[in-house]
Amino acid sequence: MRWWVAVAWIEELIREAEKSVDEVEVFFVEGESVSADLKRKKVSLATTSRDCGLGIRTIHKGRIGSSSTNDPTTWRDCLKAAIASARLATPQEWDGLPGPKGTDFSPLTFDASMKIEPGVARALLDAMMEGASHHTAEVTSGSAALSSVDVTLANSHGVLMSDRHTSVSVSLEAIHEQSTGFEFDHSWSFDRIDPVNVGERATFFASESAGGKDLPTGDYAVLLSPLAYGELLGNVFVPALSGKNVHAGRSRLAHSLSEQVTGPGISMYDNPHLPGAESSARYDAEGSPTQRIDFIRDGILCAFAYDVRTASRYGKTSTASAVRGGYGGSPSIGHHNFMVDGTRDTVDDERVVYVNMVVGAHTANPMSGEFSVELSNAFWMEGGEFQTPIRSAMLSGNVFDLHHAVAGLSRETRNVGSMILPSVKLNKQHIIGK
Amino acid sequence: MPGISYYDIRQVTGEVTHIDIDNSVVESAGTSFFNKAILRVLAGTGWGVLQIDNYSPCTGRKFDELLKKAARLARITEEPVSLAEAPRGLRAGPSLREDPRDVSIEEKSTLLSEIEKSATRPEVVNRRAGYIERFEQVRFSDSSGNEISFETCRSGFNILAVASRNGSIQMGYEREHAINGFNLRHRQEKGKEAADIAVALLDATAAKGGKMQAVLDPELAGVFAHEAVGHASEGDLVQEGSSILKGKIGERIGNDTLTIVDDPGLHEFGFDPVDAEGVGVARTEIIRNGVINAFLHSRESLAAVGNGIPGHARAMPGEPPLVRMSNTFIGNGDSTKEEIFAECKNGIFLAGSRGGQVDPGRGIFQFNAEYGYLIQNGECTKMVRDVSLTGEILTTLHGIVLCGNDRKMSPGYCGKGGQSVPVSDGAPHILLNDAVVGGSGVD
Repeated sequence: MRWWVAVAWIEELIREAEKSVDEVEVFFVEGESVSADLKRKKVSLATTSRDCGLGIRTIHKGRIGSSSTNDPTTWRDCLKAAIASARLATPQEWDGLPGPKGTDFSPLTFDASMKIEPGVARALLDAMMEGASHHTAEVTSGSAALSSVDVTLANSHGVLMSDRHTSVSVSLEAIHEQSTGFEFDHSWSFDRIDPVNVGERATFFASESAGGKDLPTGDYAVLLSPLAYGELLGNVFVPALSGKNVHAGRSRLAHSLSEQVTGPGISMYDNPHLPGAESSARYDAEGSPTQRIDFIRDGILCAFAYDVRTASRYGKTSTASAVRGGYGGSPSIGHHNFMVDGTRDTVDDERVVYVNMVVGAHTANPMSGEFSVELSNAFWMEGGEFQTPIRSAMLSGNVFDLHHAVAGLSRETRNVGSMILPSVKLNKQHIIGK
Repeated sequence: MPGISYYDIRQVTGEVTHIDIDNSVVESAGTSFFNKAILRVLAGTGWGVLQIDNYSPCTGRKFDELLKKAARLARITEEPVSLAEAPRGLRAGPSLREDPRDVSIEEKSTLLSEIEKSATRPEVVNRRAGYIERFEQVRFSDSSGNEISFETCRSGFNILAVASRNGSIQMGYEREHAINGFNLRHRQEKGKEAADIAVALLDATAAKGGKMQAVLDPELAGVFAHEAVGHASEGDLVQEGSSILKGKIGERIGNDTLTIVDDPGLHEFGFDPVDAEGVGVARTEIIRNGVINAFLHSRESLAAVGNGIPGHARAMPGEPPLVRMSNTFIGNGDSTKEEIFAECKNGIFLAGSRGGQVDPGRGIFQFNAEYGYLIQNGECTKMVRDVSLTGEILTTLHGIVLCGNDRKMSPGYCGKGGQSVPVSDGAPHILLNDAVVGGSGVD
């Protein structure tokens, strides 16, 4: 995107908005993407897309309105809709949108060498297939996608910043007898993904999980992979750290500031400045300069996440935690690089039930934290080696409480979306066998 | 155009109006707009697909340029795609009882607020109500000269109540979505129901996991049908080899009382007047009297797999069609609810749904109830919370021994391949033997 072209109408939009509202914020994205899909071993579909989207937020006497469209030429209608929407909103305390801050706007998650081309997507699929050939399993489907997006954020306090992001992702599914395997990888940087390894891991899990044995019901030491742990953490624990949920009464952690909420060895923080990380950012989606947020330090709950809106309402300061899932109207509270940290150790020496993935984590109770999920690609593991596969079993527990039963965090970590997580070893978890 | 054997283009324009009320504060309310199109081309081997934001319908050279671009893209494909012939036809949707466009957003907000306020209780610490209304204008045309256009309206609301006492926190959640017009009037009881469940769950105990007899309410039994059978019957998964039902047409999977149907033509929340490939929709009996009978198909998967009915291709605006469920249900049997509880005698009654998930290749599924009760001597006794069920597609359905005569459909959304589409699931009350129940409770 040639952002200096975009600026002209965005500045006109801001001038127009200022005639009727106190403040306005404009979020504009424009991007292109290409993807290719496998059906079994062959490429069956190739897609390109050009997307754009405009989100407008207006604030007038504490009333916040928003609208969005993917046709920026109709920005006047979109602005009218945003202003109309504010009329209905309940007025709230409002500290004001951020003004311009800082001078360094160079992108942190942009790979200039990434080519958004069908041939590149095809080559990624070929690389995955090569990796997949190392184990006895049939590939059922797979996908490779590349994208590039330009983002402009502007507001009536003089913020006008653009950023660029690239993204590459690959995934593969495989089956052997009645056993399935799935693996994926994603990054902003082309060289940071390993498609051959993705192919190899997908067929490894399908092949290695075949012929599994059932497990009697009981309590077991469990090793959750970063994927399995991330699903439980992301569905339950992370939302409970949002200031919005805390003040609205939707967080079990609301009254636990300064209290011990996990085992003493555990820390959780957002590090937006981690070099090379997936979701690093200098500014959040409202233009506030990002900072490290220590949510949990050595087991003690220290902080919650805020954007300008929630911070204004409850007399707090924004932690620069505003994120946008797309261009749609308003930002929400999220994180950049969410990390779980603590003393690292070898976690797969002693006999343990290793769980690669879980089925049904989104059905966990987001308020109380209770869950029961089916295990996927579970194995007995000892001395760092996968041993007998486990056919089918359910893990039941509580996402909050299991953080008091942590017996160790692995040395290695893995990117799971915008979380960077170790494997987590847990003492005495309840498994319901067949 | 030379080299192009088929193309279709599907454009969806529309607007979405929403209202979000959180603890009596109108957080946001307003309207957003979209215009998305997708052009699919078959040229030689597989699909070349262009996703186009802000598409302006065009003809002649301009359109030919788009076709060429998609055809060039298709060059990297190698899987030859055939499309089965399929019937055309546009079903009429229900007429709108009251057009949401005739109701001001102020009135909608007032009505939603009444539902939200009715969830007030001393123990309820959070009430959150949402309204969503979506109008879509769909225009479809293909290289065979089919041209179809229609409009849909979907609207509905949800209400969440969160109750808290002594550090314990629980929730109740109710939702209603409709395709037949505005549905916010006189629904305050839904707020009350959400609050009642949230407060009651504070005193419920965690279910103890294990194998037991279970009675499922129509909503949860509907999700059971969706997860245990629906996904595995999707023709694209069968084609890829990632469904355990592959090659199983004609095999017995349950007893005679069990019939499971997907019907996009039904006037429920998953209704489609025509599918995303312009194919006329039809009722598909996936399981008929306990025997696997038919798969759900797109034109492509029907040509590749056979044994089923097309008209099940669905897509979000601007996204490629996938084989999807629409309105999925277990058909009525002849038992009454009372007979089902009496037959169960001792077990667990599970109600409401927090969703589910399936691995169709492995044949294993999981789904979660909102709440339940222990059944003792055919009567519901102690309330239990956080209960989920797992099962295996090929064996668990044999455990459905009784089907009630009180089928009811519930609206929801279903995700697949990054796309979320409106669906409904339903069933009568059912009795499930040897249900594998998960819960963290202990003796």
